Amino acid sequence: MMVVSLMNESNVYLQDLSRGIIKENPVFRLLLGMCPVLGVTAFLINGLGMGIAATAVLVASNVVISALKNFIPNQVRIPCFIVVIATFVTIIEMVLQAFQPVLYEALGVFVPLIVVNCVILGRAEAFASRKPLFRSLIDGIGVGIGFTLALGLLALVREVAGQGTIMGPDPDSAIHLFGAGFEPMGLFGQPAGAFIALGLLLGIVNVLFKRFKIQ
Amino acid sequence: MRDIFRLSLTLVVVAIISASLLTGVYSVTDPIIRERQEKDYFQALEEFFPAIDQFETREIEGDRFDLVYDQAGEKLGVMATVGTQGYDGKISYNLAVDYDGEIIGIRIISHSETPGIGDVITTDNFQEQFIGKGFDDPIRDGEDVDSISGATLSTGAMIDGIRRTITQIGEDILGRERKAFDPTEIVDGIYQGSVEGTHGPLTVEVEIADGIIKRVDVIEHNETEAYFVDAYPEIPEKIVEEQEVYVDTQTGGTLSAERIVAAVEKALEGAPVDKDDGGESNE
Repeated sequence: MMVVSLMNESNVYLQDLSRGIIKENPVFRLLLGMCPVLGVTAFLINGLGMGIAATAVLVASNVVISALKNFIPNQVRIPCFIVVIATFVTIIEMVLQAFQPVLYEALGVFVPLIVVNCVILGRAEAFASRKPLFRSLIDGIGVGIGFTLALGLLALVREVAGQGTIMGPDPDSAIHLFGAGFEPMGLFGQPAGAFIALGLLLGIVNVLFKRFKIQ
Repeated sequence: MRDIFRLSLTLVVVAIISASLLTGVYSVTDPIIRERQEKDYFQALEEFFPAIDQFETREIEGDRFDLVYDQAGEKLGVMATVGTQGYDGKISYNLAVDYDGEIIGIRIISHSETPGIGDVITTDNFQEQFIGKGFDDPIRDGEDVDSISGATLSTGAMIDGIRRTITQIGEDILGRERKAFDPTEIVDGIYQGSVEGTHGPLTVEVEIADGIIKRVDVIEHNETEAYFVDAYPEIPEKIVEEQEVYVDTQTGGTLSAERIVAAVEKALEGAPVDKDDGGESNE
C-alpha cells in the first residue's frame, strides 16, 4: 500500500513537471508571453538568459503565492500577486545588473516587462493559488524549463539563420558556422523574422504532436 | 466595513514586506553596480589615454566630460560621455579627443540599433573615419565622413552627434574659438551654399554689400516643415541682425537651424555667384 501511494505521489509531481514542458508548453502550446519570446530571441544567449530570468521569477512567485494563498483574500488576490511578481522581477533586475551587466544590457526593457508576462501571472492564478506549496514549486520549474527551452530553440534558429553564428553577439565567444564569406539572412535577425521563425516552429511542433498523438 | 479593513491591511502588509525586501537587495547590489560602472569607465579612459594619471569631471547639461592629465599634470585630452538619438532609442558613447582637439577614439557604451543593420556603428570600419578629425573639420555626411547605406539613420545620427560633441568640447572645455567670418573682409556679392538636409539639400543665398550681411534666404530645402518653421526665418534674421554666422541654434528646429548656419558658412567660403552673368552657379 505504502509503495503504491508513494508511486502515485511521485507520479503527480512528474506530471506537474512535464506538463509545463510538453503538453502545456507556454510558448508552443499556449502562446503566452509572446513579447519577450519575439523580442529577445535574436541571439541564443539572450534567449536563454531571458528564459532563466523568467524561470527564477516564476518559481519564486509560485512558491510565495502558494504559501500565502490562505492569507490573501480572494478580492485582492490579483494586486497581491502582481506585487509579489514585481518584487521578484526587481530583485532579478538588480542582481543581473550587478553580476551580469552584459546580459542586463542585452535584455533591456524586457527584464522589467517580466512583471506583465502572462505566463507568470497565469501560473499564479491557475495553479499556485489553488495547489499545495511543493506542487507549485514543481509546476514553476516545469513551466520555466518549457519557456526557456522554447526561447532557446527559437533563438537558436534565428541566430543561425540571421547571423550565421552561435553564442554571439560577443565577438569573443561567437562561433561562425559557415565561414567568413557567408551572407546571413538578415530578416531572421529582425522582429518580422521572429514571427516567421515562430510560425515555422509552431507548425513543426503541431505536426509532431499529431504524429505522436500527444493530447 | 470590516471587510474593507481586512483587504487593505493585507495589501499594506504585502507592500511593506515587498518594500523591505527590495531595500535589502538594493543596498547589497547598488555598491557593486556602481563599482563596476566606475571600473568600466576608468578602463575606457585608460584605453584612450594610456598615460592617464588623474582626471577631472565636468558635467554640462547632463553630459559628462573628463579632462585627463598625465603624471606631470599636463592635459592629455578630454573624454566625453554623451548620448544621441539613434534610429531606435538612445545611443550612448564615449568620444575621446586629444588636447589638440582631434578625435582619438569612439566607444559605444550602449545602443538598441537594429542587429545586423544599424549596429555597424560599433564597427571599426565606421569609427575609423573619425579618427584624426577635429574641431575645424566639417564632420558632415558626404563631405569628410560617410554614412553607411542601408544604415543611413543610425550612422547619420552618430555623425551629427559626434559633430555636436566635438564642437561642445572645443568651445566649452578646451576654450577654442571658431574661425570667425568678418563680413567686411568678404568681397561684395551674392553667395550660395548647400548642405545635406533631412530629405535632400538645403541651399541658402547670402548677400554681402558694403561689408555687411544684407540678407540670408533659404532658396531650397526639404526639411520637416514642423521643425523648419522654428528655424526659418528666425536664424537668417539673427545672422543679419548680429552680423555673425555662428548664431545660437537652440530652437524648436535645432537640426534645421544648424544646417542653415552650415550652409551659410559654406556659401561664404566659396566664390560669389554672379547673377548678371546669367551663367550657372559654382556648383
